[in-house]
Amino acid sequence: MPKIRVKVDEDLCIGAASCVTIAPEAFQLNAENKAEVYDHAQAPDGPSYERWLEVTQEEKENILLAAESCPTLAIFIFDEEGKQLFPEL
Amino acid sequence: MTHVIIGGGIAGTTAAEELRKRDPRAVITLVSQEQHPLYSRVLLPHYLKGKIPRERVFLKKESWYEEHGIEWLRGISVVALNARNNYVALSDGRELPYDRLLIATGGDVRMLDGDVRGVSYLRTLDDADHLDQLLGELPAGGRAGIYGGGFIACEYLNLFAHFGRPMTIAFRGPHFWSGTLESEVGEFLNAHLREQGVEVRPGERFLKTVGDKVLEGFATDAGTYPCGVLGIGIGIKLEDTWMREAGLKSGSGILCDEYLRTNLPDVYAAGDVAQYFDPRFGRHLCVGNWMNAQMQGRAVARNMAGEASPFSLVSSYATQALGLEIIAVGDTLRDHADEVRVIGSKEEGIGQHFLQEGKLIGAVLLGRNTDRAWVTKEIGERC
Repeated sequence: MPKIRVKVDEDLCIGAASCVTIAPEAFQLNAENKAEVYDHAQAPDGPSYERWLEVTQEEKENILLAAESCPTLAIFIFDEEGKQLFPEL
Repeated sequence: MTHVIIGGGIAGTTAAEELRKRDPRAVITLVSQEQHPLYSRVLLPHYLKGKIPRERVFLKKESWYEEHGIEWLRGISVVALNARNNYVALSDGRELPYDRLLIATGGDVRMLDGDVRGVSYLRTLDDADHLDQLLGELPAGGRAGIYGGGFIACEYLNLFAHFGRPMTIAFRGPHFWSGTLESEVGEFLNAHLREQGVEVRPGERFLKTVGDKVLEGFATDAGTYPCGVLGIGIGIKLEDTWMREAGLKSGSGILCDEYLRTNLPDVYAAGDVAQYFDPRFGRHLCVGNWMNAQMQGRAVARNMAGEASPFSLVSSYATQALGLEIIAVGDTLRDHADEVRVIGSKEEGIGQHFLQEGKLIGAVLLGRNTDRAWVTKEIGERC
């Protein structure tokens, strides 16, 4: 299973909630109306804007779609080697 | 299959991308009034505040269109639609035949008569560049003005505050979003803005700008307010001359069904321009936000490619006004609800629930972010 690092830039996030709509198991809004990263709807070790996730190919594509849908490009996705998958550099 | 898409914003571009994924051989032409490749309008305030460099607002590179076999006609608009013979006439004199046509032109900004330099609108990247220049020219201590009481007015409030500008805001209604907010909630917002040092002038009709060559202020039917820059946020309108001439039915947007089909064969609409039938709410909705435009772009492409994919979304919009978080979810027009309940208090945040036949169809939340998840869920479970 692919391993990815998902990070939300809280300063860019405006709570538009497209990520939550597309990938609710990976993103949820907190009390500040910012998206936090979840691991299959769980938050081990408490809430966080950044997390390593082990996902299926299908889940990975859906998380990428959620990142692409963010109007402020606040979601960053990296592969296991640390290469930034999104936004494309 | 030949697809013509009018409008290069998020709805049109998403549709083009989705159509290409579904049919590698389709002929896809994207007609865009703007010169820029796709960018995020939502990022324009971030850019103006210097949170991100200008190049970060772009979501597609110029080369993306060619790489995906999408013919991109920029700086061009449509002047006529002939739905009987399936072609559109363009401002450069060309005529484009289509098998399927998508109209995703967004809304046209409502403007004032007789602009002088110093008046700003905030819809496009060019508008943002213009405002950036105006703000740079404003002398120390120079005041800012805002006319309007909606989401764009909120952006101006936050922007001018970011640059430490004293400001006056005037609008026609008694408070922001007069079709949505009850007076108690509207007054709560007015009071919040006043606490933040803003001069708030409700119930005033705009008369004119003051100043000949350079803006010196603006006048309403109740007073004159000095300012060196004036932000206008009085909504969008449907630029519908060619649409009407073609026989397209419209209300506040182009009317379409839940498959985003208009009344004309092979013609679809998506994004801010579409007033689509949402069975969940039992009426035609015009929703002007990013998520809606993008999701509709994806759904309409499926329908244009021959699948029957109805569109439904519990849409939401989140913004803030000088630190007060404002979230609207679902159907939030007072006229459409059987009942509107004001909830909460000044201390814990205030809001409204919109009910139809006893069920929640919409909510507005001011400083009540934590309600968002459950109200969205409850509205979503309606159908």
